[in-house]
Amino acid sequence: MATLPGQVDAGSVRGRAQSAVAGLDLWLLGAALLVSGFGVYMVMVATEGDIPVDPDFFFSRQVAYTLIGLVALFFVLRLDLERLSRSAWTLYAMLIAALGIVLVLGSSARGSTRWIELGPIRLQPSELGKVVIAFVIAVLVVERIRSMDSARMSLLVAAVTALPAGIVFLQPDLGTSLVYAAIALAILWVAGQPITHFIVFAAVVMAVVALVLYALPAIGVNVLQPYQVDRLTAFVDSGADRSDTRYQLEQSKVAIGSGGAFGKGPSGATQTINDFLPEHHTDFIFAVVAEMFGFLGAGLLIALYFVIIWRAMVIMRSAGTEMERLIAAGLTAMLAFQVFVNIGMNVGIMPITGIPLPFMSYGGSHTLTNLVAVGVLLRIGQRGHGLQPRRV
Amino acid sequence: MTSFATVVLVLLGVLAARLWFLQIIGGGEYQERAEANRMRTIITEAPRGAITDRHGAPLVTSREVLNLVAEPQLLTGAHGEAVLRRLSVALGHRPGYFTAKVRKSQKARPFEPVVLEEETGPALQAYVEERRMQLPGIRLRTAYVRDYPQGSTAAHLVGYTGAIPVESAGDYQERGYLGNETVGRAGVEAEYEQYLRGIDGYEQVEVDARGEVVGRGVLARTPPKPGETLRLSIDLRVQIALEAALREQVVWSGTSTGAGGVVLDPQTGAVLALASYPTFFPGTFESGSSRDVERLLTSPSRPLLDRAIAGEYPAASTFKAITAAAALGSGLYTPGEMIDSPGSVVLYKTRFRGFNNLDHGTIDLTTALEVSSDTFFYEIADRSYRRQGWPLQDWSRRFGLGGPTGIDLTEGESSGLVPDLAFKRRTCDRETDPINCSWRPGDSVNMSIGQGNVLVTPIQMAVAYAAIANGGTLVTPTLGRAVVDGDGRVMRDLVSGRATRSVGITQNHLNLVRVGLRRAANGTGGTATPVFGALPTAFRVAGKTGTAENPSGIDHAWYVGYAPGDDPRIVVAIVIERGGQGANAAAPAACQTIGAYLGFDPERCGSGAKEN
Repeated sequence: MATLPGQVDAGSVRGRAQSAVAGLDLWLLGAALLVSGFGVYMVMVATEGDIPVDPDFFFSRQVAYTLIGLVALFFVLRLDLERLSRSAWTLYAMLIAALGIVLVLGSSARGSTRWIELGPIRLQPSELGKVVIAFVIAVLVVERIRSMDSARMSLLVAAVTALPAGIVFLQPDLGTSLVYAAIALAILWVAGQPITHFIVFAAVVMAVVALVLYALPAIGVNVLQPYQVDRLTAFVDSGADRSDTRYQLEQSKVAIGSGGAFGKGPSGATQTINDFLPEHHTDFIFAVVAEMFGFLGAGLLIALYFVIIWRAMVIMRSAGTEMERLIAAGLTAMLAFQVFVNIGMNVGIMPITGIPLPFMSYGGSHTLTNLVAVGVLLRIGQRGHGLQPRRV
Repeated sequence: MTSFATVVLVLLGVLAARLWFLQIIGGGEYQERAEANRMRTIITEAPRGAITDRHGAPLVTSREVLNLVAEPQLLTGAHGEAVLRRLSVALGHRPGYFTAKVRKSQKARPFEPVVLEEETGPALQAYVEERRMQLPGIRLRTAYVRDYPQGSTAAHLVGYTGAIPVESAGDYQERGYLGNETVGRAGVEAEYEQYLRGIDGYEQVEVDARGEVVGRGVLARTPPKPGETLRLSIDLRVQIALEAALREQVVWSGTSTGAGGVVLDPQTGAVLALASYPTFFPGTFESGSSRDVERLLTSPSRPLLDRAIAGEYPAASTFKAITAAAALGSGLYTPGEMIDSPGSVVLYKTRFRGFNNLDHGTIDLTTALEVSSDTFFYEIADRSYRRQGWPLQDWSRRFGLGGPTGIDLTEGESSGLVPDLAFKRRTCDRETDPINCSWRPGDSVNMSIGQGNVLVTPIQMAVAYAAIANGGTLVTPTLGRAVVDGDGRVMRDLVSGRATRSVGITQNHLNLVRVGLRRAANGTGGTATPVFGALPTAFRVAGKTGTAENPSGIDHAWYVGYAPGDDPRIVVAIVIERGGQGANAAAPAACQTIGAYLGFDPERCGSGAKEN
C-alpha cells in the first residue's frame, strides 16, 4: 500500500497537526465551521430576549451541541466505512427500533413526538437517521446493483426508505421523511437508475399528494394533521389571514424584506426581538439573518452554502469506491435539500415543512447530524485523494 | 458533475433572486410593515372639563375609571376567539358575548379598541392583572365618566353627555373627533362642548407580538389636554331652593304634571337658577341601561322637557304688565285715567267676563294690576282693536315674547307665540270658520289678559320682567359665566358681549307698571299679598300672579316677579302646570326661591291660601 499523505512525520507536533488535516477538503471544512460559528452567533442574538431569566439558555446549549458535533466530526474521520458497511443492516435495525421507541414512548413538542429521553439528553433519532439512511441505501445499492434488474432495485430502495420515512411521518414529521426520500432518490440517480423510474416516482408522488390533500379529505379520511395541510398550502396564497401558518409566513417575509440591503443589525431587528417572527432560532433563523444583516449577509450565507454543496459534490466525484460515491451523493442531497427547502420556506416560495437549516438552526441532534455528515464527506474526500488519482 | 453544479447554482440563484425581490425591491414596503408591527398608538383619554356654579361648587366633574378593552388586532383567529370566549364565561356572560361585541364594534369602527366592560370593579381588575399573559389583547384602560356630585340637581341646564349620534357623525369627524368619543348632547354640556371637551393624547409605544410594551417603551407622546372648567352663573343654593319649591308645589297640588322656573339677575341677565320638574339623572345617558334611557325618552311625564325654556303656556295675568306697558307706551291709556272695571263687559255684542265676575269699581292702571282686573284690560284691548297698528303685538315683541331669548341653551329653547293677523290666517279653517281668518275684537280681549293664543315660556317672562325691573333693558339670559383653568383663573369671559336692547319705554310709564306690580304683591287688594305681604321692607317683592286657562281643564299657575322692588337683584318666573291659582301654587314657590337668594326665612312667605 502506498504511503498515505496523512502518515508522514507522525512524531512531531507540526506533523500531528498536518496529519490531522492531511487530505481534508479545507473548503468544505472551513465553510462548515464558518457557518456553524455564525449559526451559534445567530442563535445567541436571536434568543437573547426569549427567556428573561436566562438569556444564554439557547446560546449555551447550541455551543455545547456544536462542540459535541465537532468532536463527532473528527471521530468520524477515523472511521473505516468499508468495515462499517458490514454492519449496515444492524444500523438500519437500530434506527427502526429507535424510531419505533420514539413513536411509542417519546416525548413530544407541539403535537409531534420526535424525541427519546436518555437521562438529561434528548435524542432525535430521525435526525441521525438521515446519515444512516444514506449509508444503508448506498451499501444496499452497491451490494445488489449487479444482481438485480433496475426496476426491482428501485422498488427495494423505495421499500427500505419507506419504512423509516413512514414511521417519521407518523410522529408526525413530514419534513424529515421528505429528507429521507431526497437522500434515496439522489443515491438512485447517481447509481445510474433509468430516468423513467424518477418520472414514475414523480407521478406517484403527485397522485399521493392529490389523494392526501384533496381526494381523501373529501371522503372524510384525513391523513395529514390540519396544521400540516395548512403549512403545505399556505405559501400558495399568502394574505392577511392570521391563522398561525400564514402569520408565520407573512412575518418571515416582513422580517426578510425589512432587512433591506444591509440589515437592521442585531439590536434593530424588531421582527425577531419583539417576537413577531416565530421559531426565530429554529426553522426561521434564515429570516433573522436576512433581517439583521440584509441582502448582504443573507447572500453571503447562501454563498457559503454553495461552497459546502459544491465541495460535497467534488468529493462525491472523487470518491474512492462506488459505496463512498453513493454515500456522498446521499449526504450532499441531504444538505442541499434542507438548505433549499428551509430557505425557500423562509422567503415564501416553498411549503412550511419544518426542516431546519443545516449548521444554523438551533437543535442538538440536527447539529450533530450535519457535522457528522460533513465528517463522513471529509473522510470520503480524504480517502479519495489519498488512494486514487483524481478523475473529474 | 457540471449539470449537478448547474442545478445547484440555479436553485441557489432562485433563492438569491427571491431575496433581492423581498429585500431590495420590496424593502421599503416591508420596512413599513415591520414598523407598523412594532409601533402601537395608545390613546390616553383626556378628562372632560368640570362644570361649577358661580362660586365654584361642582355640578359635574369627571371621574377616572378603568374600562376593560380589547385590541382587535391581537385577538384574531381561533386563538383570539378562545380568549374572548374564556373571558365572557369568566365574567358571567354567555360564551359568545364579547366576540359579538368586538365584531359589532369592528364593523362600525375598525381598528379602534373595543370597550368590553365599563367602570370595572376591583375584583375584575385583579382578575385581569393576574392573567395578563393568558389574556393577550385584553387590558384595562383609563377612561373618564361624568360624575354628578349634586345628583339630579340642575339636570336640565347641565344636560348630559353620550356617544356621538349617528346622524351627526360626519360633523364631529370634521371637527377632529374619533368615532367612539363622548360628547355633550344636551344643556350646557352641548352648548359649551368646545371648552369642556378634553383632547385625547396619544403615546406611540414599541410592542412585541403579544402587545406588551417593550424596550424603549414610549417612542413619542402627545399629552392629553384636559377640558376646561366651565363656571356657570348658577347659584347652587338658589337652584336647590327653586327645585325644592317646584317639586313641593307639584306634589302638593295633586293635579300638577310638572313645573318650570327661572331666576335671573335682572341687571345682567345672569341665570341664577333654571329648573324643570319632573327631572332626571344625567348620568343615565352615559352609564344607565338602555331601558332606563328608553323610559326617560318615552315617559308621558316628559322628564327631559326643560319646561323653563321649552314649556309654552298661556301667560295669563302675568301678561297684564305688558298690556299695561303697551297701553301707556302707545297712548291707549293716560296716566291717572280711571276706568270702570265691572264683573263683565259687553263688547261687540259679546259678554266678556272678568275673573270670578269680580267688580273692582272704577280704578286706575296700578290698581288694575294690583287686583288683576280683567275688565280694565278688556277696555284697553278694545281701544287697541279700534286703533291703527298692533300695539299689543308690538309691545309683546319689544319685551322679547314670540322669539327665543337667546339663552345659551340654543338647541332647547321654544319661541312661544305672539298671535297676530298672519297667525290667524295661517291657522284658521277657511272652509268651516272663515270669519276666524281675521283679527277679531275677542282676539284682542283675550290677548290683553295673556290668554287666547298667547304662549310664553318661563324664561321669556323672566326676561320681560327683568326689563321692567332694570329700567327697560331687554337682557340676554346667560348660563355660562367664564371658562377657568385649573387654578380658577378666568381664561375666557362668556358674559361680555351679550346683546342687550332697550324696550323703549319711558321711566314715567315704567314706574307706573312697577307701582302696580309692587301693590299686587303688597297692597291690600294685591292678589299675591297673602304670600309676600309679611316680608320686611328690604325684601319687598313686586310681581304678578297668573292663572292660565288651558284645554286640559285645570289652570296653570304662574308667578313672575322681582325683588327687592326698589333695587331689583332677582327676577323669578315660575309656572306650575295644572297647579291651580297662581297665588296659591306659583307665588309661594317664588317667595321661597327669592328668600334663598336674598336671605330671608322662607317661613315668612305666606301660603297664599285665599279664596280668589
